[in-house]
Amino acid sequence: MNTRPVIDVSDLPHHGFDTVDTIWWGNNLLLAIETSMFAILIATYFYLRQNISPWPPPLAQLTAPFSPLPGLGFGTANALVLLLSCLVMMWVDLSARRGSQGATQRGLIICLVFAFIAIILRSFEFRAVKFRWDSNAYGSVVWFILGMHMLHLITLTCETVLLTGWALTRDFDMKHRVDITALAVYWYWVAGIWMVLYAVVYWAPRFS
Amino acid sequence: MIAKRQIAQVESFGRWYFRRARLRWLVLVAALLFLNGCGGFQSVLNPGGPQSEHISRLWWFMLFVSTAVFLLVMISLWLAVNSRTKPTNSSPEKETVGTKGRKGLIVILATGVTVAILFAFMVDSFLVGRGLTAELERKQGLNIEITGHQWWWEVRYQDVDASSIFTTANEIHIPVGVPVTFSLKASDVIHSFWVPNLHGKKDLIPGKISTIWLQADRPGVYRGQCAEYCGHQHAHMALWIFAEPLEQFDAWRRAQIQSAVSPASASEQKGQQVFLSSACVMCHAINGTPAGANFGPNLTHLATRKTIAAATLANDRSHLQQWVDDSQQVKPGNRMPANKLRPEDMQALLDYLQSLK
Amino acid sequence: MAERPQSLAEHAAQTDADRREIRELERVWARPPGIIGWFTDTDHKAIALRYVVTAFVFFILGGIEAALMRIQLARPENHFLSADLYNQVFTVHGTTMMFLFAVPIMTALGIYLVPLMVGTRDVAFPRLNNYGYFVYLIGGILLYVAFFLNTGPDAGWFSYVPLSGPGYSPGKRVDIWAQMISFTEISALCGAVVVIGTVFKMRAPGMSLHRLPLFVWAQLVTSFMIIFAMPAVMLASSLLASDRLIDTHFFNPAEGGDAILYQHMFWFFGHPEVYIIFIPALGFISSIVVTFSRRRIFGYTAMVLSLIATAFLGFGLWVHHMFATPLPQLGQSFFTAASMMIAIPSGVQIFCWIATLWGAKLNVKTPLLFVLGFVAIFVMGGLTGVMLASVPLNLQIHDTFFVVAHLHYVLIGGAVFPLFGAFYYWFPKWTGRLLSERLGRWNFALMFIGFNLVFFPMHQLGLNGMPRRVYTYLPETGWANLNLLASVGALILAIGVLFFIVNCFWARRSGVVAGDNPWGADTLEWSLASPPPDYNFFRIPVVEGGYALWDRSQEIPVVIGLSSTKRETLVTSVVDAVPELRYELPGPSLWPVLLSLATAETFIVGIFTAWAFAIGAVLTFAVFIGWFFGDPNYENVDAKEPPEPRDAADALQYLRSEEV
Repeated sequence: MNTRPVIDVSDLPHHGFDTVDTIWWGNNLLLAIETSMFAILIATYFYLRQNISPWPPPLAQLTAPFSPLPGLGFGTANALVLLLSCLVMMWVDLSARRGSQGATQRGLIICLVFAFIAIILRSFEFRAVKFRWDSNAYGSVVWFILGMHMLHLITLTCETVLLTGWALTRDFDMKHRVDITALAVYWYWVAGIWMVLYAVVYWAPRFS
Repeated sequence: MIAKRQIAQVESFGRWYFRRARLRWLVLVAALLFLNGCGGFQSVLNPGGPQSEHISRLWWFMLFVSTAVFLLVMISLWLAVNSRTKPTNSSPEKETVGTKGRKGLIVILATGVTVAILFAFMVDSFLVGRGLTAELERKQGLNIEITGHQWWWEVRYQDVDASSIFTTANEIHIPVGVPVTFSLKASDVIHSFWVPNLHGKKDLIPGKISTIWLQADRPGVYRGQCAEYCGHQHAHMALWIFAEPLEQFDAWRRAQIQSAVSPASASEQKGQQVFLSSACVMCHAINGTPAGANFGPNLTHLATRKTIAAATLANDRSHLQQWVDDSQQVKPGNRMPANKLRPEDMQALLDYLQSLK
Repeated sequence: MAERPQSLAEHAAQTDADRREIRELERVWARPPGIIGWFTDTDHKAIALRYVVTAFVFFILGGIEAALMRIQLARPENHFLSADLYNQVFTVHGTTMMFLFAVPIMTALGIYLVPLMVGTRDVAFPRLNNYGYFVYLIGGILLYVAFFLNTGPDAGWFSYVPLSGPGYSPGKRVDIWAQMISFTEISALCGAVVVIGTVFKMRAPGMSLHRLPLFVWAQLVTSFMIIFAMPAVMLASSLLASDRLIDTHFFNPAEGGDAILYQHMFWFFGHPEVYIIFIPALGFISSIVVTFSRRRIFGYTAMVLSLIATAFLGFGLWVHHMFATPLPQLGQSFFTAASMMIAIPSGVQIFCWIATLWGAKLNVKTPLLFVLGFVAIFVMGGLTGVMLASVPLNLQIHDTFFVVAHLHYVLIGGAVFPLFGAFYYWFPKWTGRLLSERLGRWNFALMFIGFNLVFFPMHQLGLNGMPRRVYTYLPETGWANLNLLASVGALILAIGVLFFIVNCFWARRSGVVAGDNPWGADTLEWSLASPPPDYNFFRIPVVEGGYALWDRSQEIPVVIGLSSTKRETLVTSVVDAVPELRYELPGPSLWPVLLSLATAETFIVGIFTAWAFAIGAVLTFAVFIGWFFGDPNYENVDAKEPPEPRDAADALQYLRSEEV
């Protein structure tokens, strides 16, 4: 058995953006897993809703606030913050692709600020829900939704911290530029899934 | 009657097989297995009412078609394995276009037949399913509420007349030929109500009420057992259904509505005192006495029941004594604590319990 | 290592330059030595074999539990096991077989064989792969340590609420179950991501999707099913754990929760789970049928479409596990139709296999025997499955021993028999030696007879009214004889498995040396030495047809230009497998193990306090800092700016022009 070389790959690059790189696939597959999880969580929300009427159940106390609906303020603010942060992240994404290190560094720091604001807003969102997680099934599922998304906000922040650290202190190499574009995908996903969850948590009980 | 038909089916099956001497042993095994299933007070294949009759007909239909399918696949597999016609060298071969085309046709045909069979199954099971509930909406009959407890069945006979409502446990009497609606509830975990001779099962789910409707056409005694794993003593959570002619059922029902008989003998009176002054009253009720708790089975007419401990033990004096003394020895994990009574108190209590006709 | 037989690829290394390159590759891809090396190794073959051995140990443990149950049920009112112990035993048996044996071992074969079959040097995410194994191992150990401490879960492998809820299962038994689910599901999800990444991006040039071996298709489809099904059970077990630990009310009817909700979530995972176990086995069968009939598979496209159809339908029939609950009838009819329809793709595959075998000169070796046994058992299991899809009939036989029979017919017949066939088939590739044919035939015969003796009578027991999950039964039920028969069968089945174990130990030392390709098979792993070298392929081959080795030209076309001084392999495009990158894979590292320990802290301490999750988050982040900044040296950081992929375009040109 003899071999004959037919393809010489010595000039191929080591990394590429988007579907070329395995990182993109790994990242998106993990996001597919999390998307299934949130889809089932949303289904859970609507399933439990059949059991409690009205949804959310009336509050026990006779003092203000009287409405059991979750307060809109913080959730809406958070939605806006996340949407805005996506614009910054797009800038980071493009800068990383272009290879402009300074813009990427600045953009990542701004994104980090946004991420921290989102986490702080989230902790107020829990209070805007008028029930505790152990009050009833409504409280449980809403807290769980907010909590799972909060977990992603935290994970996202940690990943951004790591990549910002790298971008500030180490080489702005191709591998990490690809990583930054993968981070951007995660960022869009976290923001995008929040739009759905925001509608479910804050608006679905208002239309029933 | 039905058993006879089944035996006839097995026999015709058998004759077909016997022509192949090699498979004779198979027939014997099959016949043994089939015969084992016919008859029986807890069998899907021995229907005692229209619901289980419909389902068992569906079963036989699906069984025979499936057996045919199985045999066909096995025969073609056997032929395929033994079908080498012309020897070739050992290098990987390519089939001619002609063979491939013929095979393709056969595969498509086989797939078509599969689809057709599945469609027939689906239509038949849909029709049978509709038959099971359609009659439910037409008829009005007896209404019984069953509550599943770990690990026994509370049975409550509903009636428009509140004074005719009564509660018993684990043994259900129903009149033959009358549709019975069972409303099923659970007090703790999920159980499943299943009397195979009469109908399929239905789950009892906490926080929900499910309904099953059935009818017995043949007088008889049918056993049922919890079919959803419900913890420690899931294995010993059985029940009996007594399907009786209407007059007999009415007599039983009239007796059950009555309060408990007053203790007659001195020993029975003492037994009642023992009952009322010991832990028994914490859980059990005897109508007509101050005992009114409903955590355990209602004992008003205990002596009319054939079994105790959810159809686990025969209702006789020695089993009763064993049970009252330390039921954990008999049915470990059940909710009834041991009752260490003085021997004379125990005998009096047993006298009393056995008098509760 | 010195005595390793020459592989075809190594024959190709004729020049001194080639030999030098091979020495380089051996050095670069060498597996780390010692006990630390065992933890840090990223070699997919080593990890896969660890998976196989671990899962097989769990299979034996699950089998011992099954034997205990058969002893207990051999006669009525037996006192061999107490009710409490029996309930733990059957729960741990089901949990072990589903989560610790069946899914991991199917993943394991994929992790071993997929990179070899698609012609690459390791999986796409070697460290994630290593992490997945340790998470799985810790989950399995957790379950068994708890079991031996009499804290084994006892609410069934499905752990229905409210029985498994805080009210009716005090203590930590069910928490162990819930957290073990988290471990095994994380592991399965890692495996799925690894397999999909490898199949999509690491295929050798020329292996476009329509040339993918059916084995790889099966692994790919399974991995996608895992990605969409497993989150459901992770969520269900998390909600259960939070009901138990922090008093949420997801499943508490008194506070608006719902017991049926849990069943929906569990079976939305639980039914696809069956296909997650079964579909890889279809891949084994296709490999074995092709090799031993020396025929191309009949109806490749139909087979692939059947796999995909099975996966889709598999998500549409979970409710047939819940027909006895109060559900709307219209919904039930839909699920009946879906459950019956899934018989069609399975039927198509069986017809295609028979068509492939038909007229072929069969090389009837043990792997093929197991496949033939599979057809007999699985067809029967499939037919009883169709019966279970019918609502009225289901109401009678659901949750009885009929279902026990059915599920073992489809899972043992559908997955374990092909798996044993696969063991016989690939054992020479893994170890370099063939298993004994003689012992193999005994192994098959005993397993086949034993299996049918155990499970066939159970159909009848179910029809006779015997419910599942009972620790004993009364003598008057008349179930004793058939139960005794089943218990005798279990003994025979166990002896059959024992033959396999003996065969493995015997073959490791004195089996016939296999050589590269003892069966004359067609897929790429058989072009390598047995066992394959650490770097798999000296030169990545260019694939010229759907049956890589059969369709090969005399002069094997190969890829050149990959670095041999780095762990480099080729990344290609998803559909056409056109070279895109020379990608450096990460090598051995301790971080995955440390990460698995952080995961372990989170879930195990999480049984006792919710603070474990905060601590776990900190630990995980700490590990990631180390992972991210700690050892950048594996990576070629001086990566060039991407040039135009000129050669890739040429390659595409080549692949198109040759019409290979």
